[in-house]
Amino acid sequence: MSILEVKNLRKVYSSRLGGNRVEALRDVSFTVEQGEYVAVMGESGSGKTTLLNILAALDKPTGGTVLLDGKDLSKIRESSVAAFRRDNLGFVFQDFNLLDTFTLEDNIYLPLVLAGKRYEEMHGRLAPLADRLGIADILKKYPYEVSGGQKQRAAVARAVITDPKLLLADEPTGALDSRASDELLRLFAQVNARGQTIVMVTHSVKAASSAGRVLFIKDGEVFHQLYRGNDTDELLYQKISDTLTLIATGGRRQ
Amino acid sequence: MKLGFYPRLAADGIRKNRRMYLPYILTCTGMVMMFYIIMYLAVSPSLDAVKGADTLRAIFALGSWVIAVFAAIFLFYTNSFLMRRRKKEFGLYNILGMGKGNIARILLWEAVWTAILSIGFGLFAGIALSKLAELGLVNVMHEEVTFDLTVSPVSVLRTAEVFGVIFLLLLLNSVRQVRFASAVSLLRSENAGEKPPRSNLLLGFTGVLLLAAAYTLAVSIKNPLAALLWFFVAVLMVILGTYLVMIAGSVLFCRLLQRKKSYYYKASHFVSVSSMVYRMKRNGAGLASICVLATMVLVMISSTTCLYFGEEASVSQRYPRELSLTATFTDERDSSVDPVKPLREAIVSIAESRGAALSRVCDYRYLNVSGAFLPDGEVETDADRLDSFSASTLGNVTTFCFIPLADYNAMTGENHTLKDGQALIYAYRTSFDGDTLTFKRGLSLRLVGTADKFPGSGSAAMDVVPTVFLVVPDLYAAMEKLVEGMSEETEQYLVMRWLFQFDTGLNAEGQQALCKELRAKLREGGEQLIHFEGVTVGAIECRELERDEIFGLFGSLFYLGVILSIVFILAAVLIIYYKQISEGYEDEARFHIMMKVGMTKPEIRKSINSQLLTVFFLPLLLAALHICFAFPIIEKLLRLFGLNNVSLFALTTALSAAVFAVFYAAVYRLTSNAYYSIVSGAREDS
Repeated sequence: MSILEVKNLRKVYSSRLGGNRVEALRDVSFTVEQGEYVAVMGESGSGKTTLLNILAALDKPTGGTVLLDGKDLSKIRESSVAAFRRDNLGFVFQDFNLLDTFTLEDNIYLPLVLAGKRYEEMHGRLAPLADRLGIADILKKYPYEVSGGQKQRAAVARAVITDPKLLLADEPTGALDSRASDELLRLFAQVNARGQTIVMVTHSVKAASSAGRVLFIKDGEVFHQLYRGNDTDELLYQKISDTLTLIATGGRRQ
Repeated sequence: MKLGFYPRLAADGIRKNRRMYLPYILTCTGMVMMFYIIMYLAVSPSLDAVKGADTLRAIFALGSWVIAVFAAIFLFYTNSFLMRRRKKEFGLYNILGMGKGNIARILLWEAVWTAILSIGFGLFAGIALSKLAELGLVNVMHEEVTFDLTVSPVSVLRTAEVFGVIFLLLLLNSVRQVRFASAVSLLRSENAGEKPPRSNLLLGFTGVLLLAAAYTLAVSIKNPLAALLWFFVAVLMVILGTYLVMIAGSVLFCRLLQRKKSYYYKASHFVSVSSMVYRMKRNGAGLASICVLATMVLVMISSTTCLYFGEEASVSQRYPRELSLTATFTDERDSSVDPVKPLREAIVSIAESRGAALSRVCDYRYLNVSGAFLPDGEVETDADRLDSFSASTLGNVTTFCFIPLADYNAMTGENHTLKDGQALIYAYRTSFDGDTLTFKRGLSLRLVGTADKFPGSGSAAMDVVPTVFLVVPDLYAAMEKLVEGMSEETEQYLVMRWLFQFDTGLNAEGQQALCKELRAKLREGGEQLIHFEGVTVGAIECRELERDEIFGLFGSLFYLGVILSIVFILAAVLIIYYKQISEGYEDEARFHIMMKVGMTKPEIRKSINSQLLTVFFLPLLLAALHICFAFPIIEKLLRLFGLNNVSLFALTTALSAAVFAVFYAAVYRLTSNAYYSIVSGAREDS
């Protein structure tokens, strides 16, 4: 059963006076099945971030629909969008977006506190999660006291502690060194193995090669997609590389 | 005409940062205006007509300097907020190839624009309002006024000078800050994170102790003189304590809240508590400043209002009768003759010749001795044997006023009899419980009753120390005994006097004329027309004549109190505003993240409200607490001004607190809206 359905998505940005129109997404359609791990690739300016913002209900599409678990995102009232996001979506950002006024623990609790959960319940959920993510020892620290990789793992914990229907990740390895990146990707794979649906936007081949399926976006359209099948990470890496070369050298759509 | 590049860039910078600059310029304008008005009043010619103009001028001249110093300190404080925001811009200019010298030129022009705007508008408003201020003042002083608008060039010049210097200092400070910072550190300065403060138990505890000690001090002091001495100590302790408590104590408090999980992990508390912990270190100082300012305003307004409206009571305490004379016995050791009799007859005849009918006559001889109660309960009258500067001595200094029984009986119409060594007692502003009052090395009196019909005297009301009246059977005998316990030096202050005071039944002019005639005819030193043997006439006071002086003093204090309060309130408001605005900019990113994580707008509003409410009303609550404890000590100080009306003071205090709270709440609304619009602006930008 598909958890996310994107149909004929279109997004046009126009400058304030309506003069300069930029078509960020032309016609994007794809679906994501329950428990899938999808990477969305594309160069800067290809519309990846616009797509993610629309999936996250942070932005409204000009045309087309996004159905999350059968619910049309554009039909949600403005006042309940935030609550919807809190209850159904988890986010991992490139720059972590941890609040420097909170300890890591409190940062992770944030969405649950906003949802009005009791401390005992939050604590019960965090304990096993922190163990799995390897951050149990640093929960009491403040973000400025820990490394980037640790921050990102705390951010992952914050994203999945609500058991979201969909985990959205925007260049999650963008601000990490290669070792921390590897670790994070292993973590994503692990989280995905437990049934978590993930959509990750990235232009890192390495990151994309840990996904189950890779979508390529070019000029506001889905240009190509690769399924992992039974490929290893290395083989998938090779295939992605080849595709990117093809795109960059102006190959035609297959 | 085309403006140069730098002036335009500077003007642009000011315009773009309107939200920061507008309040700043408005405050500068307000300060300039207040300074001009006070300066103007100090030299205004229409004050000449006001009685006590000299007192008034001196007080205003002092007040203008208070404003200048305060303005300098305060503008430095607010300017640092501005610089914090501007540094990023300057860092960018620096990176784009502008040298530090060029940036200094921009800063120079910004200072010039700000100075021109604020001094210009400030002087304009000052001149426009100075007449109003003058009218208000003269009205406060119960005088007539003329309605012509005048400008005082001296005051204009002085104002421009003083604020010119302040702006120059501000400019130098800004240039210094830019000069010593690298481009990158300028660029990042606004976002420079800071470590969350560790809760400092020791500091917070010291603060609480200081406050507690100051409070105890304020409540336990019974004597106005000691109050005067200790008041400033207490004020310093309270200020220091407030800062410590706000800075360290508040962090501690928030940490405790965080530890209480069922409270902390609630949507409405979670964000506000944690961000308060984070910024209390810096904001604690701001909050403490607001609290101190609020306390100052409340103390000033309530006490000067009380003085002003309690003036009449104060005057009639100080001058219980319309006319009052004192005379000194020059040969007091001889008890066989009564040198007072011819003097009294002369006064009565002069008074009656002016149509006065004497009533409520107070007529007695007395002997004043200063002494201090020692720890053993006895009284030391020899100043050489007292450690006159120790606080415990000061607190126990008392004036002892001996009055002969014959005079007391004649005056009150009572019929007491006293044996040798016995006395009646009346303790004014103090209490005495024992049944024997002993003076070291001399007189010992058994107290057999109270002289409660005593009409009181103006000098006791004016005296800063309490007075114990002692009615004794024989003044001369008492005097001889007292002398035994004194050194020769102290002894010469022991003089017997005569007090004669009465109402005349005349109108104000009649009283004043009579007083002047008495002075001319009786007083030593002037054109003394009548001579008396064995007695010298001292002060001749007329309530109507003295009232103007008191009005001059209280009226100008009241007026200055109001003006300074306005200045301080302005300052407090601005501190709050800037704090919130700059926090708003810092929080913008945080709330942005929280919205991404799923915080709804109503939740943001709620969290802001809970934060602002604490930030706003914590200082006000603490200020109210300060006022409650300051009340007894200020009430004692007011007695030094001859004001003894506790309920009036309570009323003015409560009223000023209420007015202040209402005003404060209005500012709160304004600020919270500004803050909210900044913070939620993040939503639209995303």
